[in-house]
Amino acid sequence: MSGFSNLLIPAVLFFGLGFLARVIKSDLRMPPDMAKMLSIYLLMAIGLHGGYELGKADMSTALNAVLWAVILGFTLPLIGYTLLVMTRRVDQMNAAAIAAHYGSVSAGTFLTAIAYLDNQNIPYESYPLIMLAVMESPAIIVGLLLASWSRQRLVAAGSQDGAGVAVLEPGGGNGTIQKLLHEAFTNGSVILLIGSMFIGAIASPSSVAKLFPFIDEIFMGVLCLFLFEMGMDAGRRIREFRKVGAVLVAFGLLMPLIGGTAGIVVGHYILGLSVGGTTLVAILGASASYIAVPPAMRLAVPEANPSFYLTLSLGITFPFNVLVGIPLYHSFAVFVAS
Amino acid sequence: MHRLFPEKLVTIITNDVLEDKLVACVRNRGASGYTILRARGAGSSGEQTGMLDIDTNIKLHVILPPDRMSGLLDDLERLMKQGYHLTVYVSDVSVMGPEKYQAPMR
Repeated sequence: MSGFSNLLIPAVLFFGLGFLARVIKSDLRMPPDMAKMLSIYLLMAIGLHGGYELGKADMSTALNAVLWAVILGFTLPLIGYTLLVMTRRVDQMNAAAIAAHYGSVSAGTFLTAIAYLDNQNIPYESYPLIMLAVMESPAIIVGLLLASWSRQRLVAAGSQDGAGVAVLEPGGGNGTIQKLLHEAFTNGSVILLIGSMFIGAIASPSSVAKLFPFIDEIFMGVLCLFLFEMGMDAGRRIREFRKVGAVLVAFGLLMPLIGGTAGIVVGHYILGLSVGGTTLVAILGASASYIAVPPAMRLAVPEANPSFYLTLSLGITFPFNVLVGIPLYHSFAVFVAS
Repeated sequence: MHRLFPEKLVTIITNDVLEDKLVACVRNRGASGYTILRARGAGSSGEQTGMLDIDTNIKLHVILPPDRMSGLLDDLERLMKQGYHLTVYVSDVSVMGPEKYQAPMR
């Protein structure tokens, strides 16, 4: 398929190199904080760029995109939770934590998709970018609500021993709902992305244009470095496959297809975006978070095992989306458009 | 010969998302200070490489008078019951200048 030869872009190839370096146990190592710094740069650059474009965009479509981002963000974790509970391979707490990852988004996957579209000169709208910013939060909220609901049911069922009662409120006190909303909306990557978009939108266009060497010209190079490191991380996690088990791995491959299809429907039929824009919305639906959601889940759902959700989102769904998902969703978007 | 005084050292190893929670406990229990180091390792939560936010561990040291320790340990025990993965151990240490450990942080 021609779609796959289009994956021969440096960003994706560096992802492969990082992955390979890990699999063959190379001694290559990145400085500890590099991925954190690179992701701050990427969010800031994409935010400024998107805000600049949005300043020129149509507001009613933008609001519609926000609305549908929220709907996707709330619905996808519910689908994921139901599927996971049906597999009976994980308890409800783990199901809630994993499902939250799949409702949220991966900026890394989104940026790889942008590199993929740029490489083929496929135009795309800037609306999916606002959706990227909006979709971080709802999934965290749904995940936390599902977890506290499951927790209450476990306690009501008089689960195991007395220890079940102690887990009622891991938030550690009153005002759990406020805490939960605070957690979801003040998340570092949400603040950075929305803040940069806002700055990009209100700053005078000529002053933003002066930043182009920083936010545009070196962008793809930084993305290569970031994906290189993420490839190494994925390569490391894929060894935990066995711990996770075949059924959960199957979920990690099936869930992006469900989310991707939902994204195609929203992008093409509801928002009326171009092929490029629809592909990006599909990526938003398909991708699983590994920056914003894991710390939130770790803090608020301590009962869930981090190696489950991290292996699934970083070790399985992320490589799947980068290597197979992007060309797949793109051809699907071309198909519905024709 | 130096004059040394007995105190307790509580050491906690856990994920860095819990830092704020732990620091709040340490303050509320009247410790005079604390030290946090970044840590790497592996355990029940898988490998903690320090490469990503979610993957970074911390090691928190608190030296405090023996009579203030049990309150802190109660807090830590409650966190562990809630499901948080903490490694906690207590050691006997000898310190110089014991008055330094008496005044709680403001």
